Amino acid sequence: MQVTGSLKGRSSRLIRSVNSLVGAAMFVAPLLALLAIWAIVVPLFNVNPRVFPSVGAVGAAALDSIRDGTLFAHVGASLLRVGLGTLIGIATAVPLGIAMGVSPTVAAFLTPLFRFFSVLAGIAWIPIATLWFGYGFGAIVFVIFNAVFFVVAYNTLLGVRTIPHTLRNAAASLGAGRWALLTEVLLPGALPNIVTGIRTGLGFAWRGLIAAEMIATNVGLGYMLFVARDFYRTEVIVFGMIVIGVLWLLIDRLLLVPLERATIERWGMVRRA
Amino acid sequence: MKTLSLRNLGKTYFDPYAGAHVTAVHDVSLDVEPGEFISVVGPSGCGKTTILNMIAGFIPYSKGDILLDGKPVHGPGPERGVVFQSFALFPWKTVLDNVGFGPKMRGVPKAERDRIAREYLALAGLSHAAHRYPNELSGGMQQRVGVVRALANNPDVLLMDEPFASVDAQTRMTLQEELTRIWQERKPTVIFITHDVAEAVFLANRVVVLSKGRVLDEIAVDLPRPRVWDDLVRDDHFKQLSARVLQMVRAA
Repeated sequence: MQVTGSLKGRSSRLIRSVNSLVGAAMFVAPLLALLAIWAIVVPLFNVNPRVFPSVGAVGAAALDSIRDGTLFAHVGASLLRVGLGTLIGIATAVPLGIAMGVSPTVAAFLTPLFRFFSVLAGIAWIPIATLWFGYGFGAIVFVIFNAVFFVVAYNTLLGVRTIPHTLRNAAASLGAGRWALLTEVLLPGALPNIVTGIRTGLGFAWRGLIAAEMIATNVGLGYMLFVARDFYRTEVIVFGMIVIGVLWLLIDRLLLVPLERATIERWGMVRRA
Repeated sequence: MKTLSLRNLGKTYFDPYAGAHVTAVHDVSLDVEPGEFISVVGPSGCGKTTILNMIAGFIPYSKGDILLDGKPVHGPGPERGVVFQSFALFPWKTVLDNVGFGPKMRGVPKAERDRIAREYLALAGLSHAAHRYPNELSGGMQQRVGVVRALANNPDVLLMDEPFASVDAQTRMTLQEELTRIWQERKPTVIFITHDVAEAVFLANRVVVLSKGRVLDEIAVDLPRPRVWDDLVRDDHFKQLSARVLQMVRAA
């Protein structure tokens, strides 16, 4: 039985790696096609660089910003804000979500507030956030926190509610107290949902970040786009847009998707559902 | 080891669908001696699972007493181990950590609780599965883990709620034989809920028949051990006992 198990495991791993190669190729192909069209159309119609830059100009802008270090300053500032806002969001949302999941009273009381504020979450908070925290770091971190907080809290609540009640009974009849119930059953049981919430929330946060940086700061990817506009530097704008997209794909594929897979697939949550 | 006593136990609850109070358990008295294996049988709705849930402390009781060694029990506790029909294994823990969960709750250090867990896994022939996750196991193997997880915590009473109802017929017979073997080795006090008459007789020292929330009758099962199905299917005494219990259940 173990032999067939490991054989099956090996062949499915092979199939999975072939599949992921094919998947990557199919993902990259349309992007390459777009790049080709861009490289042909801009010189062909002699497009004004104030309207849209050539591929070469964007490449040169990329090299410049890497060479003089401005790219890293912008990326670093943006990532720091996203990271901090996300961490604060998770740290506050998970306990609240669990409290809501455990207590119907808490859930009933907070649900209308959540409905209201989840619509507002994001850039609608920027004006008042700048009044509270001033222009810059604090206001932007607050906007990120806001985007992450509601999604993660709601998903945590959902996660706790999907834990079968017999698991809580099992833990209690094996001697688990309140604290052990929390750390051994509720948290790990809700974790797949929490991770899904973090992934969704970070998606919102990333969009909110760029918007907030256009308004409320003097460094960061959003600011980089916004300033370039003042000088008609379309090649910097387009390069910035590419960086924003690629960075998100990297965060999502290299960090969030593996995290989701590790929790959900390993415990058979998907297969059971 | 401790004696478990149910004294005039009753459970009435409000059924929001019926819009009325329903009495699931009227008046049940029962004494269980240390090391005894009791099967509780009865038709659906006779209150057998309600009784088990009250003993386990999952639901409060409306009247009477549940006494463990003379002390009333309220709420769940490790001295009453439970084996669930739905297995209720923690999907995020390996088999080893599932079985070691009870000792962990008692504060047993990691190395020692791993040793305990391995000892009990060996008892159920599961040593090879120690590092698997529950969803990687068949239903029969999952319930073996469920049984030894409860046993590894050394409960005074082991409560089993139709634990083999959701596995296939062949596996069920194997599990029943394994359970009688483990019981003979460890002599835990067991209350086993089932609607399967043959299962009740096969496993128990005493079969209690429930009807409409009351104890209808009980029968001592004096079949010799070890019990295996190959012998008992042809055994006249087993057939007579099963027939008598079946009659009572059908009259219930």
